Amino acid sequence: METLGIFEDIETAGRAVDSLVKAGFSESEITSLTSVAYPDGVLVKTDGRTWFRWLALAGGIAGACAGILLAVGTAWVYPVQTGDKPIITYYPTGIVTFELAMLFAMIGTIAGMFLDMGLPPRNKRPYDQSISEGHIGISVSTTSGGESSRANEIMKAAGALWISAEETL
Amino acid sequence: MEKLTSPYKWGMVVDLDRCTGCGACVVACQAENNVAICGKQEIAEGRNMHWLRIERFWVGEYPDVRVRFLPVLCQHCKDAPCEPVCPVYASYHNPDGLNGQVYNRCVGTRYCGNNCPYAVRVFNFYDHEHAWPSPLNNQLSPDITVRSRGVMEKCSFCIQRIRRAKEDAKVEGRTIRDGEVQTACAQTCPADALVFGNIADPESRVARLSRSPRRFRLLEGLGTHPSIYYLKGGGREHV
Amino acid sequence: MSEPTPVAKSAGQLNDEMLSSMRPPTWRWHVLAFALGAVVAWGLAAFAYQVMTGMNVTGKNRPVMWGFYITSFVFWVGLSHSGTMVSAILRLSQANWRRPILRAAEAMTVFSITVAGLFPLIHLGRNWVVHYFLPYPNQRGLWPNFRSALLWDVTAITTYLIGSSLFLYLGMLPDLALARDRSDGWRRKLYGALAMGWRGSAHEWMVYHKASTLMAALIIPVAVSVHSIVAWDFAVTVVPGWHSTIFPPYFVIGAITSGVAAVISLMIVIRKAFHLEDYLTPLHFDNMGKLLLVICLLWSYAYFVDVNITWYAHEPIEWEVFSFMTDKYTPLLLLMLFGNSVLPITVLCFKKLRRNIGLMLAVSLLINVCMFIERYLIIVPSLSHKNMPFIWHEYAPSWVEMSIAVAAFAGFALLYALFAKFFPIMAVTDVREFEVRKAEVPLGRAKLPVVAGEE
Repeated sequence: METLGIFEDIETAGRAVDSLVKAGFSESEITSLTSVAYPDGVLVKTDGRTWFRWLALAGGIAGACAGILLAVGTAWVYPVQTGDKPIITYYPTGIVTFELAMLFAMIGTIAGMFLDMGLPPRNKRPYDQSISEGHIGISVSTTSGGESSRANEIMKAAGALWISAEETL
Repeated sequence: MEKLTSPYKWGMVVDLDRCTGCGACVVACQAENNVAICGKQEIAEGRNMHWLRIERFWVGEYPDVRVRFLPVLCQHCKDAPCEPVCPVYASYHNPDGLNGQVYNRCVGTRYCGNNCPYAVRVFNFYDHEHAWPSPLNNQLSPDITVRSRGVMEKCSFCIQRIRRAKEDAKVEGRTIRDGEVQTACAQTCPADALVFGNIADPESRVARLSRSPRRFRLLEGLGTHPSIYYLKGGGREHV
Repeated sequence: MSEPTPVAKSAGQLNDEMLSSMRPPTWRWHVLAFALGAVVAWGLAAFAYQVMTGMNVTGKNRPVMWGFYITSFVFWVGLSHSGTMVSAILRLSQANWRRPILRAAEAMTVFSITVAGLFPLIHLGRNWVVHYFLPYPNQRGLWPNFRSALLWDVTAITTYLIGSSLFLYLGMLPDLALARDRSDGWRRKLYGALAMGWRGSAHEWMVYHKASTLMAALIIPVAVSVHSIVAWDFAVTVVPGWHSTIFPPYFVIGAITSGVAAVISLMIVIRKAFHLEDYLTPLHFDNMGKLLLVICLLWSYAYFVDVNITWYAHEPIEWEVFSFMTDKYTPLLLLMLFGNSVLPITVLCFKKLRRNIGLMLAVSLLINVCMFIERYLIIVPSLSHKNMPFIWHEYAPSWVEMSIAVAAFAGFALLYALFAKFFPIMAVTDVREFEVRKAEVPLGRAKLPVVAGEE
């Protein structure tokens, strides 16, 4: 379960994260919800690792295969002589392969990005609309109600405006 | 993927020293191939449908003016620029050495017409399919379609006649004899300036004429390897 | 920087101002949409007339079998290089002044390539069998001819359309979440679905930034290849004047010229229409003007090379085509050289003129008019005077072709107006990211602006 504290600005939110870490919560349990991106470490540290680029690469390879199937495969299956040109040609094959490889790589990037982010989410998570208007949200993942209450108290003590309990997104 | 081969390589010889510019070949082609009859308006717009045109050039100053005629038809190039550019394979190369045009596959991009350096390809800008009011439609040849609008067409070396001759020869278990197939234009030319036949057969009339020292091919520098040889020279320029 | 530092605005205020285009439409917007819709409807009627009657309603003939439609096609593909190139290059180079421009530019790309993709359908003689272009299994076992440059066009335009749409969507993702939070009813459902549950967590932002960089890096080669492929439609032929190896780079440069000029024009229009004067400042036009100067210089260079080679080798048929063009189309040629080379290069050298918004609008609009002329002068004269002089013929566009060309502009503008009404036309999140990261640091006797960021 997640609990979400809303803060006025970056400084109070930063102090809250410090207090949470000092109280024993690990960095991986805490995340920030912001409407603009902040550099890593300003609020929370992420591990900086992503895997979606593998999906982009897989897309590129799949696209290249599709391109070769189209340009070479279809010509081979029903060969029609045009000009003095060979049935299977280098340049057109190269062009079609390149385009389809890039297309599938781009689709793979977007699909991989969403999968890596875990969107769209399977269950609802807490969110507050004031985050869009500039407030900072600090969300703590806990395993029990007791831990949640402890986190809430630490955040309130550090200056949270309110704790948002609804699971809206 | 085996390469299809054929004992025939159709070609033509046009003897410019014999051509009188009478235009009978143009009329014959129109009659044989259901080519549309265009009026003055269409021709003035640059949309005539002639598969074969007689180019006429004036040479010299009055009173020493002479005229030169050049019948231009589809050259059936070995390395035809019109073939690789068709996106749907409507223009392709036949094992017989013909440049084929498949009317019902043509989508009408007109890329082939642009890329033909001889500009022998014509496009159906108008709807000629319905321009044969009864009883004129009785003159249409049943061996060949009447093309709809939006389709490219051009000289096919009277492929329907070649087909007919091939069928006859197959029944009799032989190859086509020299002179058996005549394109409509070659058949009609009163000056015998057009000769059609199988260039792959070195004994055929067209093959022997194509070895003449008077020979040249149109736009040879472009490397299209046309199947039509023109003969010109012989000393005196004809009037 | 010589401008006084503006008073810092709150996030809410920034949101309000930048999302002002999404407010309920005024009567002016309705009049505009109606007028554009009328022009588009007229174009559709002209097209229907052409499909029912035949291609004789155009000005095309033998040998000029391509005319206004292909000119428009190349022009719109060129215009589509605007957004993605500008956006991707500026993203990768991390130029901060890119931020207000990105969204407008990316949207422009998507709509230009959509309009461009219609022209290959419009110019066909038998539009109703256009599906022959597509590789689908059929009972005759026939496939399209991938050796044809037109099929490379089909592949490339499909790729670019999908790629640039994804790129636009990716850029809009945080802004869609913003729009979701500020709306209700059916809008909230729409933006909510599109935002895919985005919350702005640290992990989401990290993945997002990496994905944006990767997409920008992927879309640039695609953009270059798309216009090279369109250039190859001409360059791989034997038509004199077309068969030139400079065409692919020349067309790509022309596309970027066209695109950058169009982004400038569009930015000026948006700035006025949605009161975004605080966000699109003279600084942005100054920098875009510098970019435009560089690219106009490149275009002039490419054109100089093309003509120099034609003149020097003096191949008879090539020279004939070029002389015909200069003789018959002299006023158009001179206008093109003035609008694409002489005027931009002289005007854009001066900071004061670059920051003059009215002048930038005039220069950028003229550049696009001249780019259209440039495409026309490449396509038509070469076909008019091809290799066999007996069939030389001239071309003039008919009312049908002109109607459809104008309707394409109206269609683009209409799509854009609709987009601006329903989606954030400014990259709100990018601008606000800049606002929160900038600060003033005292150094020596002065206070200098800095922007905090990762290495």
